[in-house]
Amino acid sequence: MSEDLRARVLAYLEKVDKVKSKDIAAALGEKKSDVDKVVKELAKEGKVEFLYIGTSYVKLVK
Amino acid sequence: MAELKTPLLDQLTTGPWPSFVADMKRLVDRKPTVADVLAQLELSYEEKKGHWKHGGIVGVMGYGGGVIGRYSDMPEKFPNVAEFHTMRINQPSGWFYTTKALRDLMKIWDKYGSGLTNMHGSTGDIILLGTVTDNLQPAFDEFSDLGWDLGGSGSDLRTPSCCVGPARCECACIDTLDLCYDLTQEFQDELHRPMWPYKFKIKISGCANDCVASIARADFAIIGTWRDDLKIDQEAVREYVNSGFDIQGVVIDKCPTKCLTWTGSELVLDGSNCVRCMHCINKMPKALRPGDDKGATILVGGKATILQSAFLGWVIVPFMKLEKPYDELKDLLRNIWEWWDEHGKVRERIGELIYRKGMRVFLKDLGMDPLPQMVFRPRANPYFFWWPEEVNQG
Repeated sequence: MSEDLRARVLAYLEKVDKVKSKDIAAALGEKKSDVDKVVKELAKEGKVEFLYIGTSYVKLVK
Repeated sequence: MAELKTPLLDQLTTGPWPSFVADMKRLVDRKPTVADVLAQLELSYEEKKGHWKHGGIVGVMGYGGGVIGRYSDMPEKFPNVAEFHTMRINQPSGWFYTTKALRDLMKIWDKYGSGLTNMHGSTGDIILLGTVTDNLQPAFDEFSDLGWDLGGSGSDLRTPSCCVGPARCECACIDTLDLCYDLTQEFQDELHRPMWPYKFKIKISGCANDCVASIARADFAIIGTWRDDLKIDQEAVREYVNSGFDIQGVVIDKCPTKCLTWTGSELVLDGSNCVRCMHCINKMPKALRPGDDKGATILVGGKATILQSAFLGWVIVPFMKLEKPYDELKDLLRNIWEWWDEHGKVRERIGELIYRKGMRVFLKDLGMDPLPQMVFRPRANPYFFWWPEEVNQG
């Protein structure tokens, strides 16, 4: 599940500039806590970064 | 520098108590920032109007919280406080420091900031008042090198705090210090990444004396308690009485559920009616002790809120054993956060959300059973509202 979700999260992030992980979860029809875990792993690997603009956004590292 | 004249502030130094004005004036020669803080405050006293602006996105790399941007709305008049940001440092559990740790911390703050602190803020963190944007990262790097971390600010998990617990208190029913540290480590992401509707505070008290006032100030209060009967040393009770202690007036009559009786030679407990309020233990600490089966009561939703009135925490788990790795507690927290994040409005705290949607919705969504201990206030009507699917309409 995690590998599949990783790929889907990365694919979704390709389509947007920045997004809240809550909205990723809604768009993919997944639980937010599962998306949070995947995003956290991707951030540790340097594939995504967080932006803090009032709230926390996620975006791909380009 | 022009002479600093603060006649209104100076009045505060004439009272019987130590004054922050006198303290700050000692720093004025060394720190121009402090002179401008005082001058701006004096102006505020004259005009009866504040001159601080919150806001602006300032912080350190990788963190969304921990720094509060603060600016003067009169930078041309008070250039040294044009930027006056606050840094929050995560305090150690129970606020235990070595003097060396404090000196090292203050040395860094003297180098990069105004030298002013607020030890401690309401949440519990070490509040360092007043630095400029360019100094935030170097100051944080030095704090970090010494093992300090930023606390929470904004819509994130605020720095968890706890009472001194078993380190100094014989009433502690749980290891508040370990639990506070463990939760802080476990929820680093939630602490440093503001992504919720609003702030969320966890406070941990070792017993019902609630020395950190968790029931009133925490969205999630953990209060130590026990499940079996309190322990009575009858010989010690008799010593209290023989030395003139008014056991009837001070203990028996004050017991909120009248579960104690003094026979003249023995203290008798009706354990099933004890509400573990700690009053008798506080009055006779040498004779009474919490029971052996210790754990905690979990309450949710305390704090003076913006949208609704002030709330005390509401019991959601009457008793939970709290032992490492605290999985049951962490799962409960994660479930609450998920529900709050899904349903909460902007700046709506968990207590307000439960108030708005109802405790029964909260419990149902979290898969928890309603329990008698969850009483919000004495019932005013005899009706029970069934869920439609629970009603047998045949």
